[in-house]
Amino acid sequence: MDWIIERVPYSVAVWWRHFLVWQKTIWSSLALQMVNPVLYLFAFGFGLGAVIRDMGGLDYLVFIVPGMMAYSMMFTASFEATISAYSRLTMQQTWSAILASPVSLFELMVGENAWAIAKGLFSALGVVIVASFWGGIVSLPGAFLSFFVLALAGFTFSACGLAATAHAKNWEFISYFMTFWVTPNFIFSGVFFSIDRFPSYVQALAWLLPTTHVIGVIRPLTSGQSLDPVMTILHILFLAGLGGLMFTLAYRKLRSRMFD
Amino acid sequence: MSDKSAVVEAPPVIQAENLQKRYGDFEAVRGIDLTVRKGRCVGLLGPNGAGKTTTMRMIMGLTTVTAGTLTVFGKPVNAIGRADRARIGLVPQEDNLDPELQVRQNLEVYGHYFRLPSAVINERVPALLDFMELTEKESQSVMQLSGGMKRRLVISRALIGDPELVILDEPTTGLDPQARVLIWKQLQALKREGKTLLLTTHYMDEAERLADHIVIIDGGKILAEGSPAELIREHVRGHVFDVQKPLPDALANGRFECEDIGDSVLFYVEKAGELQQELSKDVHYLHRPANLEDVFLRLTGRKLREA
Repeated sequence: MDWIIERVPYSVAVWWRHFLVWQKTIWSSLALQMVNPVLYLFAFGFGLGAVIRDMGGLDYLVFIVPGMMAYSMMFTASFEATISAYSRLTMQQTWSAILASPVSLFELMVGENAWAIAKGLFSALGVVIVASFWGGIVSLPGAFLSFFVLALAGFTFSACGLAATAHAKNWEFISYFMTFWVTPNFIFSGVFFSIDRFPSYVQALAWLLPTTHVIGVIRPLTSGQSLDPVMTILHILFLAGLGGLMFTLAYRKLRSRMFD
Repeated sequence: MSDKSAVVEAPPVIQAENLQKRYGDFEAVRGIDLTVRKGRCVGLLGPNGAGKTTTMRMIMGLTTVTAGTLTVFGKPVNAIGRADRARIGLVPQEDNLDPELQVRQNLEVYGHYFRLPSAVINERVPALLDFMELTEKESQSVMQLSGGMKRRLVISRALIGDPELVILDEPTTGLDPQARVLIWKQLQALKREGKTLLLTTHYMDEAERLADHIVIIDGGKILAEGSPAELIREHVRGHVFDVQKPLPDALANGRFECEDIGDSVLFYVEKAGELQQELSKDVHYLHRPANLEDVFLRLTGRKLREA
């Protein structure tokens, strides 16, 4: 416990630095984070929603809102841990400035994770606010609970992003990450439609994507359905396990990249 | 510091023995012995790629030591804890400030990395801005600063934790004379406060002015060390005569220590008179006191080093 308490203020200091920088460009940041998922919500909710009456036993809008919440967390945290973090590592040299202070690499990474989570929660909140005025949230307490799941998901996504950043030798690598990781997480994870419409091998792939597991928990929560306890635990374990694994990979790679 | 011997006997802040660093097949540092005592300013001089920055990074714990021993504050560098790391301030070669943040915020944010209480930050930030004459700029964003102001801000930032050891990697490279003079003045003030300084520079006048002890390195090895005066006496004597070719016979016989640099020959002599009497009126030459730059060029050669 002391081990944790001693480290928290240093990670908070990193978080605070990112917050101050974000504050400087608050309006464009807000637009970037909120407009994107809200646009999707309109397009699919209104557009497709008029055609598709129901999906998996739910009204299409109710179906798609948790998908958009998961998507906004996935996209924001991945973006922050790759494009923003990679520029702090390379062009801006922010990390080398921080590591010349008493902050350790571990604390720096936790600070990066925490910031990515905060930004992701913020954009998911935007989705929930818009959706709740529009009747897309059946259970507000469920929506509230889903933020805890989203926070865990934010850790998973930002840890995956940091692992990519740690291995990236150039910007091209980062764009591969976007194309081969972020986009599949968007398309194959049941954001727009149930994954049981896919052939079984694509379904198997879908179960390897963390977004599928996020949606697996928060869709029942926001739509007021009951949770399957066993599946919920499996979803949570998957997210935590993948996050822990990726964080470790990222830490090891960054340590050798920066200190050897 | 009334007792001079206390300065000489001061405990070493940095002690390196046979320090080595290898990146793959490349040997950046190939066995350096270095002692930096408390309250002294040591200058590391060397051409690009000599191993200066790598040595500093090892001392900071920012890169691992391949072989040899390195102690900082009397402890092995890899065993240094957070409390000791907070006693070191680094001025890196590149300006890695937060460009979006204000001048003042850059210092405040850095103070939080040292876990300084707000009261301490609020007290130190204005003092450091004043120290580097940045008070008027405190609310400007770093993007609006000139190169010299950024450099001064990086130095202020390195001082936020009130370090005992300040490591400066080319603190004045690319700055105008006014900014350099201010930085020199304030680094001397830090020395008077009893801080230990380790400095790399390409400017010999800077090294001569600030450093008590100079270590010239090249190819990852130490070529020479000593006080500026000692180095000049030992390697280039006292006076330099730059004599245009063709040389008069009296000089071409190898009586004097010299170095052929192409169109002319440099002669190094202890007393100006020794050589002056050999120069007839029709010989074109330049005479000047020897300086550290002569030492540096003699030892590291005149070939260009590409970064």
